[in-house]
Amino acid sequence: MKQFVPGDLDAAVIQEGLCIGCGACIHLCPYFQSYRGKTARLFPCTLKEGRCFAYCPKVEVDLDGISRFLFGKRYDSAPLGTYRSIHVSRAGEKVKKSSFQAGGTVSALMYFALREKLIRGAILTGRKELLPTPQLVEKPAAVFRHGLSKYTAAPTLAALNEAIEKGCDNLGIVVTPCQATAVAQMRMNPMGNPSFEDPTALVIGLFCTWALDFRRFEAFLAQEVPLKEIVRIDIPPPPASVLEVYLQDEKLVFPLDKIRPLVPDTCGYCPDMTAEFADLSVGVLEGRGDMNTIIIRTERGERIAREAERQGYIILEEMPQENREHLEWAAANKKRRGLLRSREAGKLNGEEGKTYMRLSAEVIDEILINGKEDAPCHT
Amino acid sequence: MTAIPLKKDPYSIIITGVGGQGNVLASRLLGSMLADKGFYVTIGETFGASQRGGSVMSHLRVSKEGVASPQIPRGRADVIVSLEPVEAFRVLATYGNPDAVLLTNTHPIYPVGVIRGELSYPPLDELQDVISRLLPASYFIDATEQALLLGNAILANIVMLGALGRLNIVSFDRENFHAAIGRRVAADKVAVNLQAFDVGYGMVQV
Amino acid sequence: MSYLIDEGKNVQHLLMGNEAIVRGALEAGINVAAGYPGTPSSEIIESFSQVAKERNLYVEWSTNEKVAVEVAAAASFAGLRSMCVMKQNGVNVASDFLLHLASSGTRGGMLLVSCDDPGALSSVNEGESRLFAQLLEIPLLEPGDFQEAKDIIKWAYELSEEIRNIVMIRSVTRMSHASGNVTYGPLPSDTAARAKFNYHGPLLDPENGPVISMILAAPELQHGPQQEKMKKAAAIFETCPFNTYTGPEAPELLIITSSACSLYSREAVKILGLGKRVGILKLATTWPLPPVFLKKHLAATERILIVEEVAPTLEDHVKVLAAESVQEIGPKLFYGKKSGHLPSVGELNPDLVLAVLSRLCAVPYEAAAGVFATEAKALMEKLAPPRGMIFCPGCPHRASYWSIHNALQLDGRGGFVCGDIGCYVMGILPAGFSTVKTLHAMGSGSGIASGFGKLRQFGMDQPIVSVCGDSTFFHAAMPALANAIHHRSPFTMVILDNRGTAMTGFQPHPGSPINVLGETVPALDIEKICRAMGAKVEASDPFDLEKTREKLGHLLEYAEGAKVLILKQACALSPEKRGRKKYEVTVDETLCRGEDCGCNRLCTRIFGCPGLAWDGEKKVSHIDDIICAGCGVCVDICPAGAILKKEVA
Repeated sequence: MKQFVPGDLDAAVIQEGLCIGCGACIHLCPYFQSYRGKTARLFPCTLKEGRCFAYCPKVEVDLDGISRFLFGKRYDSAPLGTYRSIHVSRAGEKVKKSSFQAGGTVSALMYFALREKLIRGAILTGRKELLPTPQLVEKPAAVFRHGLSKYTAAPTLAALNEAIEKGCDNLGIVVTPCQATAVAQMRMNPMGNPSFEDPTALVIGLFCTWALDFRRFEAFLAQEVPLKEIVRIDIPPPPASVLEVYLQDEKLVFPLDKIRPLVPDTCGYCPDMTAEFADLSVGVLEGRGDMNTIIIRTERGERIAREAERQGYIILEEMPQENREHLEWAAANKKRRGLLRSREAGKLNGEEGKTYMRLSAEVIDEILINGKEDAPCHT
Repeated sequence: MTAIPLKKDPYSIIITGVGGQGNVLASRLLGSMLADKGFYVTIGETFGASQRGGSVMSHLRVSKEGVASPQIPRGRADVIVSLEPVEAFRVLATYGNPDAVLLTNTHPIYPVGVIRGELSYPPLDELQDVISRLLPASYFIDATEQALLLGNAILANIVMLGALGRLNIVSFDRENFHAAIGRRVAADKVAVNLQAFDVGYGMVQV
Repeated sequence: MSYLIDEGKNVQHLLMGNEAIVRGALEAGINVAAGYPGTPSSEIIESFSQVAKERNLYVEWSTNEKVAVEVAAAASFAGLRSMCVMKQNGVNVASDFLLHLASSGTRGGMLLVSCDDPGALSSVNEGESRLFAQLLEIPLLEPGDFQEAKDIIKWAYELSEEIRNIVMIRSVTRMSHASGNVTYGPLPSDTAARAKFNYHGPLLDPENGPVISMILAAPELQHGPQQEKMKKAAAIFETCPFNTYTGPEAPELLIITSSACSLYSREAVKILGLGKRVGILKLATTWPLPPVFLKKHLAATERILIVEEVAPTLEDHVKVLAAESVQEIGPKLFYGKKSGHLPSVGELNPDLVLAVLSRLCAVPYEAAAGVFATEAKALMEKLAPPRGMIFCPGCPHRASYWSIHNALQLDGRGGFVCGDIGCYVMGILPAGFSTVKTLHAMGSGSGIASGFGKLRQFGMDQPIVSVCGDSTFFHAAMPALANAIHHRSPFTMVILDNRGTAMTGFQPHPGSPINVLGETVPALDIEKICRAMGAKVEASDPFDLEKTREKLGHLLEYAEGAKVLILKQACALSPEKRGRKKYEVTVDETLCRGEDCGCNRLCTRIFGCPGLAWDGEKKVSHIDDIICAGCGVCVDICPAGAILKKEVA
């Protein structure tokens, strides 16, 4: 469980450059606000304990505590985290191939969950020009307006908090791994509120190696194209290694090496590639831009995914071993690099109220041994 | 009314309050009433912070001999008129002495620390209690309440002047006041000011 | 009819020092008065304006102090009597022209009135202006009481005309803002002065030639005569009726003092019963010193205490004279600021003089009965919470700084505000959310911001904001803006337009539709000026917090060149607003979540309006109806929507 120390989220996270702007601390009080992709604290607050600190996925994250809460078992060194099954997937015939990217699994699942009233609303992220604009979506068809990848960090959880504040429950949400961590911490009722009820019914995590800093990305693209004319942005799966920007009738291609400097420093500390604390985790299948990988992690995730499959909203297929091993290799590497970086910075089991993560020494050792830079050999 | 002889020369009066309470007008009125009576009057005013919630203080020196310092030396106030209760303490601490007479409005104006909830404002009965113990000649009236009944809190300064008149320690009366207020405010405001003066006059027993 | 032009014979009025100066000028037949508002000087021009019609005066609030002196100088050149009025900081502004004027000389009597503020009671510093008299090489007079403040003016006009140069009058807060009885003299019966500038005479003809301060490698032509004027002034000062001595013939201690300090000295001597031992030499002519008069008094004693505010200016001059005359008057012991007997920081008061006299004359003195003083002080510390400075209820600056602060925080690049002079100096305090990080002279915020903006080439990426009031804009910020636009300095100038020179009491400025004489005049439009100058300009109502924050946020991002955001909302104390509530504001106690609200008392702890206070007993916020100005801004900051407003019909 999260340790509270009379700490200051501003000093521990924002000033340390760890804030990714996920929005977990927004709409809880008047002090934290999101502005153009960044979270700012307007005034200091004197309260000793707050949800802002408790939800933040960048301070005092007790990986073992979250794992026990979600899965009833300790956090181990498995590269993909705890899961029930892993598949290749794509949207089924019930869903028109329209404005989603890759296999469309995420949009299809949310569409299904809304249509079947398994969730009352979905927190999704659209965009205005380049600015990600999270919002509560209640009409199933509206899901597809939010289906395009953003690649920039977004304050998605601000919209979740706002919806909860308005009294919404049974919410679905699409999140990045750091946001999945925050949502898991929210669901743990860290403040011990007696009338607390889990506001989420479905958390879909997206695979993530890094996100782009919105302001830097905007400034970068603004030098290249009129922002208003951008229709779609894509990073095709490896081995492409480029970012594509689609205009009405033109496509600009930037090598990822030019884009990486726009990644905020905080992503380098992150050990989670596959959103280990989501119900379902979805990513692009390597080498197949039209297919997804889906990891089914929780019981409620499994129920929804299987029902969506049964009703033809998604198609699940067996995952080739080669693909799984490569995914494990990539995830293990991110995990290893994230822990190493955090440890160097004193952010792994570090100073109370200022550390990023807590994890047993034993598991840390396992992870550091598991993650290897070499690619697995497949002949 | 016969002129009351000065107990001291110069006789020193402090009118204190908070910016916006009409401190300066009160001191000018009192000064001009006393000047009309043939005294030398010197008024020193600190109103730099008057528009910003700060303490405001006027020093009045009354003399038969001549001009006095516009600042009263420490411990030498003979009369203290406070338009706000805790301001009385500030004045007492610097200018008070056991023989001073204190007249204070009991309506508080909270300092910013109190507004912010960081400091507490003393309860009125405690204030009255400790002041009375310190200074036997102290009088407390809710001048602001009476001013509000007359339609405007700003009239509290005039209510206080009326009460000071009743205390009979400084040489001025209603007629005096009428002449002085007539010189300072618009003709249509004279009546309500006279009313405020009368209300104040009736609020203390000597 | 104003009491200032009461024509009753030997009539007496209780006048402020500033009013006494005005009455003196009226008795001297002044024609033109110009100034720029600044505490403690402002009442002088205001008082002139009240009697302008009856006394056929031209009075103006000039755009700045330098212009005020120039306007008054023109009147002098045309043979009229004039006065320019300012606070001490204004003399700095005017000093450029003053240096030239002192060299060219004047014709009609001309006075510079500088009101200093020892202790910086309402100023950003207590810097004193007396040193300017020495630098400018002009005579300096310091009245010692209220009657003298009136009487000395007429005498000063005669002096100015006698030596054909400007004469400086120095007042201090405790003279200007203090009051005392003043017996009037007669007003001149003829107010129909005729102005004409004669320039047909030869170049250096002081009466009929052109008026110039151009020396062209021949300093003896003008600087020489200027110094002769000073010698003449010193000679006249020998018999100045305002230099007085009271005390024994051969005092064991001589106090040399001037201005309000002479009143403190007098009181201290009286309280200690030292009238037979200590003499007081009150000088009105503090530069140049009258040597013969002074030497006579110095010779009569061994020990001299100099009591003055703020710097040891008089002390230095007297010491130089004593050193020069040591053979005549013998060696002396000096006490004052340099000896550490009196402070050279802050204003003086009777107690400081009492303390030094008690020490020098070995007369014990205790201010108040010991027990009483200790007890009263302890009670004050226990019971009287300190009064911090705060913006008035309904003040637009609070709302403006709220939005500026939040825009900078959200921007997140470490932006800051360069402050300027006005009530909004409080932006350095929690009252203005500690947003202001530099603060200097009038207009300097924008000049500094213009400089910061050019530091991008050295890697400085913090957004730069400057604030300036509407009056300050015209006074000194326009050149800074021109500089920034011309040099493409990327900063945002926020003009806090509260429709008047609010801090000093709503004096009009070039943007006002009515001048100090009540005449309708062309009002310069700040927005149009900034646009015409070439800035990107936005305007907003600061009471609309969200829109203001948004507009400023966009301007901060917009990188190119100087940008201006004009926040228009009249001061809460302005005649148009005072005593009128736009909204009836209330706190719904059922909606206010009090201490349980995650807001951590944002409304009272941070916003800090005197009209909205925390009720420590009920643990909710409440509106103090007497204090609330009804601006309604706090309604928009409550996250629970517990603050409600209803438009007052």
